[in-house]
Amino acid sequence: MTSFSLRARPGHSGRSLLTAAVLGLVLLALLPVLALVAFAWLGQEGGDLSLGVAGSLQIANTMLLLLAVGALGAVLGTANGWITTNCTFPGQRWLRIAQVLPLATPAYLLAATLIDLGSRGSWRIHGPLWAIAVLTLTTYPYVFLLSSESFAVSGRRQLEACRSLGVGPWGSFRRVALPMALPSIGAGIALSGMEVVNELGAVELLGVPTLSVGILQRWQNDGDPRGAVGLALVALVMVSLLVAAERGLRRRSRRWLIGGGGEALPRWPLSGWRAVLSVLLTTLPPLCGLGVPLLWAARSLDQLQAEPPAELVLLGGRSFLLALLAALLTVVVGLLLSLARRWIDLPLIRQFSFLAGMGYAIPGTVLALGLMLLGGPWQLSPLLLLVWGYGDRFLAVAKNGLDAALEHIPPSLDEAATGLGCRWPQVIRRVHLPLLRGPLLAGGLLVFVDVVKELPLTFALRPFDFDTLSVRVYQYASDERLGAALLPALLILLLGLAASLALIPGLAQAARGADSTRAGASLSPD
Amino acid sequence: MALVAGVSVLGPGRPTAVGAAPAEIGVYSGRHYNTDKALYQEFTRRTGIRVKLLEAKDDALIERLRNEGANSPADVLVLVDAARLDKASDLGLFQPTRSASLSRDVPVNLRDSKNRWFGLTRRVRVVIVNPRLVNPASIRTYADLASPALRGKLCLRDSKSVYNQSLVAEQLILRGEPATRAWLKGMVANVRQPFFTSDTPLARAVAKGDCGVGVVNTYYLARMLAGDNGAADKALAARLKVVFPRPAHVNITGAGVTRASKNREAATRLIEFLASPSGGRGYAEANNEYPLRGYGNNPILRRFGTFTAATVSAEQMGARTRQAVNLMQANGWN
Repeated sequence: MTSFSLRARPGHSGRSLLTAAVLGLVLLALLPVLALVAFAWLGQEGGDLSLGVAGSLQIANTMLLLLAVGALGAVLGTANGWITTNCTFPGQRWLRIAQVLPLATPAYLLAATLIDLGSRGSWRIHGPLWAIAVLTLTTYPYVFLLSSESFAVSGRRQLEACRSLGVGPWGSFRRVALPMALPSIGAGIALSGMEVVNELGAVELLGVPTLSVGILQRWQNDGDPRGAVGLALVALVMVSLLVAAERGLRRRSRRWLIGGGGEALPRWPLSGWRAVLSVLLTTLPPLCGLGVPLLWAARSLDQLQAEPPAELVLLGGRSFLLALLAALLTVVVGLLLSLARRWIDLPLIRQFSFLAGMGYAIPGTVLALGLMLLGGPWQLSPLLLLVWGYGDRFLAVAKNGLDAALEHIPPSLDEAATGLGCRWPQVIRRVHLPLLRGPLLAGGLLVFVDVVKELPLTFALRPFDFDTLSVRVYQYASDERLGAALLPALLILLLGLAASLALIPGLAQAARGADSTRAGASLSPD
Repeated sequence: MALVAGVSVLGPGRPTAVGAAPAEIGVYSGRHYNTDKALYQEFTRRTGIRVKLLEAKDDALIERLRNEGANSPADVLVLVDAARLDKASDLGLFQPTRSASLSRDVPVNLRDSKNRWFGLTRRVRVVIVNPRLVNPASIRTYADLASPALRGKLCLRDSKSVYNQSLVAEQLILRGEPATRAWLKGMVANVRQPFFTSDTPLARAVAKGDCGVGVVNTYYLARMLAGDNGAADKALAARLKVVFPRPAHVNITGAGVTRASKNREAATRLIEFLASPSGGRGYAEANNEYPLRGYGNNPILRRFGTFTAATVSAEQMGARTRQAVNLMQANGWN
């Protein structure tokens, strides 16, 4: 080891090491996609790259869902973020916490239970409108989490000025807080948009053919991998635009956050119809998202077909361990990539670390096919492929929060630490890790919840005798035996709930407004 | 010792070398019933051959096996639907299997002509009628579903369902393309609601009178009648009348030894066991399906009555599925 210079960044060898690590990780992240593209272009199978009538319809449906779910989720997430952060109304504290609960519900479970309940009462739950409702309910918490963080930490002084000038909650929201929160809201919409493009089970059940349905159909049913990769590229372009928009907005948010700080403000008390509306707005979405599966469970107890308890423990244990492993993996790799971006001032590294996060853009089914192409000839173990897939798919979830949080830590802190004689590993341990505890935890928990619910990768890549909760639920549900799916589905909800609730301490802290600089602990530096 | 005793119980099975390490085979299965597992355990108990199981969607399994190539750990591939079995053989995923007991137990039209796969259970796609809205006697064949008398009364599952695809493929073979096209057009004109994505809600809709007629696999109805879906569904299903069109469309669950298998002998023995009258009954009963021959002992299936199966082979149907899907979509069956 050569000596490190007393600068904020690691020395030459440290940087080479980091650069090599980044390149290796990016290669790992991109390999499945490269394998797919190579297979589609070099292979003999499949027709031309035409979209066809089905393809155009799938693209149109995906766009419709993106726009509608984005718009509805933006309104719902922002409104609930604002009123639970800056207003008081009956039950406000609990209702604020309730907003993250829908994260626990997999969209396919919500769709399956809605369809089943509906068909018992002669209601046809079918088509794009229902798909929009289901996806909005399951993804609006992303917008809520990010926008309420912004409402809690930024623009305190400006809001104070509003109050002293006699501007009410609506005026302050419209003229000050909303423009400041736009980047965060945009980032939330982008995250939910990626979920929408990836969704498979719910849209299949509701009879809305989207791109992810089309990709699978072309590949496996039509035996047309080229057509499938063509559609996947369309999906990739859509998500790339979302990611680019999200990054652009984040860049703007850095400027805004300078106006943060200031003392915690008293909240606006709401009464009369405003209070009623607020209660409704914050009660209904979590009630539907979590309540529908629970209602269905309560009404289906007479068809409960219990698995042996030992089997349930095994299924739950596997889901838990896989999710934990994926959370740790993505957090560690995300931290490495984020730090590399901070310390190595090369545009190449910046772009590469961006590329590594693009796995989130690839529908799980496509990623699974790519990994299978690699795993077959190299005889890689299915479990290794599965964890590789999780890492690839969910890295962005862990990394995006870290990138944003690192931008809020002034580089002068790194320099001060090195000035005091810390080497760079020590800077990470003594400066960054404590400051990043919040976003590391939040990113890890989000990945955990996502993996517990994850379906296409687990379904396609798991080894012999290795079912998980989500796999079992999907198998039963797709075979129309919801009674047998009941207990595993409740366990998924339970695991998801536990992780969602773990996100809450930061949120509750923000709700108390005890310390406005620590307020956004759920997704920003602690 | 138990191993030796077990082999003798299995009857026609080949002798296993005494003292040989107990074999282990990998099974990829497109079925997922807990009772299947009990059956595999029974096989292990009888033969000493351990079964490792991976259950997933049929198409995903085909894709996985294809990518794993010669390295695949799968010895047996179990698939639901004739077209998928045909697709897997076309892709070279199976190897031919010679077995006297399979030739004896599996009827000729329910296995591959080159002995690459063998049917294990039969599933019948029938017409269900709400007698308050439609006279069950007015439907004798699938062709009757296109009758103008059923305008606004028919409910169908979408064309993504392989069960519907194979049904149309069979009609193509039996009646030719022009007649099938006219039939599809007539049915689509009769359809009352958007196409369903599953059979159970469709059966409920017919029972409630939201539709007068529907097309479902018998086992969904049998499950409802058995009370598996709760008391409300049981009462609903009791309102329905089952009509077996003449001839009735029969689809299969089937299995074959994979090309990659390193343990052909043991793999063949599992398929022999599943196709044998005792093993096959368990496989069929798990899901209220019909065994390869006859009607089995399931009282609910017995109540449905007897049927005349079409003689089209599963292999022929598989070969026409692509054409069937195109025809369905071109005529508004989405």
